[in-house]
Amino acid sequence: MINLFLGLSPILALGLGGMLLMLAEAFGSPAGAEGRTHTGEVVDAGAGRGTELGLIAAVILFAGAVFSASLWLVGPESLPEVSKVAPYLIIDRFTVFFAFSLCFGGGLVALLAAAYLPEHKIDRGEFFPLLIFSTLGAIALAAAGDLLSLFVALETMSLGVYAMIGLRRTNPRSAEAALKYFLLGSFAAAFMLFAGALLYGVTGHTDLAGIGAAIGELKGAALDERAGMILVATMLMLVGLAFKISAVPFHMWAPDAYEGAPTPTTGYMAGIVKSAGFAVLLRVLFVAFGDTRIMSWGSGWPPVLAALAVITMFAANAMAGRQESVKRMLAYSSIAHAGYALVGVVAASRGAEAMGAVLFYLFGYAVSTIGAFGALLWAGRRGLEAVSYEDLAGLGRRHPAVALALSFFFVSLAGVPPTVGFFGKFTVFQAAIDVELYGLAVVGLINSVIGAYYYLKALVYMYMREPRTGAPIAQPMESGLVIAALAIAAVVVLGAGLCPDQLLSVVSQAKLN
Amino acid sequence: MDTTIESYMLLSSVIFVIGAIGFLVRRNVLVQLMSIELMLNSVNLLLVSFNRLHTGNMVGQAFAFFIIAVAAAEVAVGLAIVLQLYRLRGAVNSDDATTLRH
Repeated sequence: MINLFLGLSPILALGLGGMLLMLAEAFGSPAGAEGRTHTGEVVDAGAGRGTELGLIAAVILFAGAVFSASLWLVGPESLPEVSKVAPYLIIDRFTVFFAFSLCFGGGLVALLAAAYLPEHKIDRGEFFPLLIFSTLGAIALAAAGDLLSLFVALETMSLGVYAMIGLRRTNPRSAEAALKYFLLGSFAAAFMLFAGALLYGVTGHTDLAGIGAAIGELKGAALDERAGMILVATMLMLVGLAFKISAVPFHMWAPDAYEGAPTPTTGYMAGIVKSAGFAVLLRVLFVAFGDTRIMSWGSGWPPVLAALAVITMFAANAMAGRQESVKRMLAYSSIAHAGYALVGVVAASRGAEAMGAVLFYLFGYAVSTIGAFGALLWAGRRGLEAVSYEDLAGLGRRHPAVALALSFFFVSLAGVPPTVGFFGKFTVFQAAIDVELYGLAVVGLINSVIGAYYYLKALVYMYMREPRTGAPIAQPMESGLVIAALAIAAVVVLGAGLCPDQLLSVVSQAKLN
Repeated sequence: MDTTIESYMLLSSVIFVIGAIGFLVRRNVLVQLMSIELMLNSVNLLLVSFNRLHTGNMVGQAFAFFIIAVAAAEVAVGLAIVLQLYRLRGAVNSDDATTLRH
């Protein structure tokens, strides 16, 4: 029994911590006198205490990461009791790897939000329980081995994120972003459900392993009769998953939702939600659709996914180069990064080694992108936010530390050594070459070069341009929390970039087999 | 497969497609929400009718209950977002949601 608790410790820590935080938020005394602001407006109990609630949330999320790390060291395979929760939750090294990376990224976002929300007067305490429960859903999504738990975990994650986007209640952009993400997210979930129902009809199973085995056993007349339904189910499932990871042409919601959301939420969506989306994509494709006939290049999903990867990289990089808003540029860049990761997924359909490359890439990307959004929110204070490239002009001279942080994470996203971003791209393209997918690797390389343009453009503005007279100049906010979060992220980005061997050996154990 | 299952499959596919088209064509957010509900309910119908093929377990029917419960939670959040937009805009038309354009 104790081993089962140990196996589920990251999930339990987040669930329990989130509930306690909710109680603390509800029953704590509000910061303002008698629960009113200086204008006499009534505020709820959590308002005005963003910093302390955010710190508690960060502690809970980092505790989840510590639990995941210790679970990794113990080894989930040495805990036979965890099979009691299978197939609904599968606790293997794949899950534990994602649990660590999601909790770690979530903790960084909590630190950023603890500084950002009070600064921008959207100091609402419910953000932090939502953040924790949403991360809980993301971990459960990575662990889900049954369509039922997959759906529930997906909605647990998404419902929290919808609310976190709409947090800025008086801002129409925030409401609009939440609406767009909500509508398209629910639409995509309906597609995945329909695919799941079809798979249940064909195989009689809702657990992914059972579906995979039942499809593998189909032969002769039974196969001919059901091939059409399996094909439709595969395609609908791919559409639903492509929405979640925002691959082109299912990306329309992403730039709007990313731009309208409060910046910590944007970092959360780009880092955590996307990683969890890839986790479930890998598990569904390789467990439920892992049969050699569906995973073959001639008659299965790999060519579809390869086409998605190519379109995603080209379209997203082309659009990102045309943006004037840095936040929107980062949104398109996050779509492009989904394309690079998809290259690795396609390669993994030919050789299991490539899946480790995808995991490496996702971890490096998640930390780098959360760092980039964190540095962007550091660069602006209330009323003087850094939005466009123009706002960043001369930042290198005025505020060297902020400019250095922004440059550092942009350089990692662009894939320049010695950052983790470089090794992520390197391992993914290397994996593609190893399985003789030369075309995809070349397209990926070309796109990395195109992609460097818009990151370098930001660097040029920061270090080589001076702001136009009369233009609003972004003023960095002063916060130790943001600096702490960025320092942690920078250590990981640089550490994993300088000695990638440890992380590479971890991801090679974490891949699905 | 007996014919009844196939007619249920046809019915739920038709409902699903009506929901998807409604979602894409209509611009009133409330109607779009209803279209999503239609799609989810077509999935419920499909699951429950498939359960007749697989009589060994009740997975299909149990799944439908989960979908109903989660859909209720989803609509609660969705209506809150629509209400927020209505307070700010005085309309619930998704074509008006154009502040975020590049």
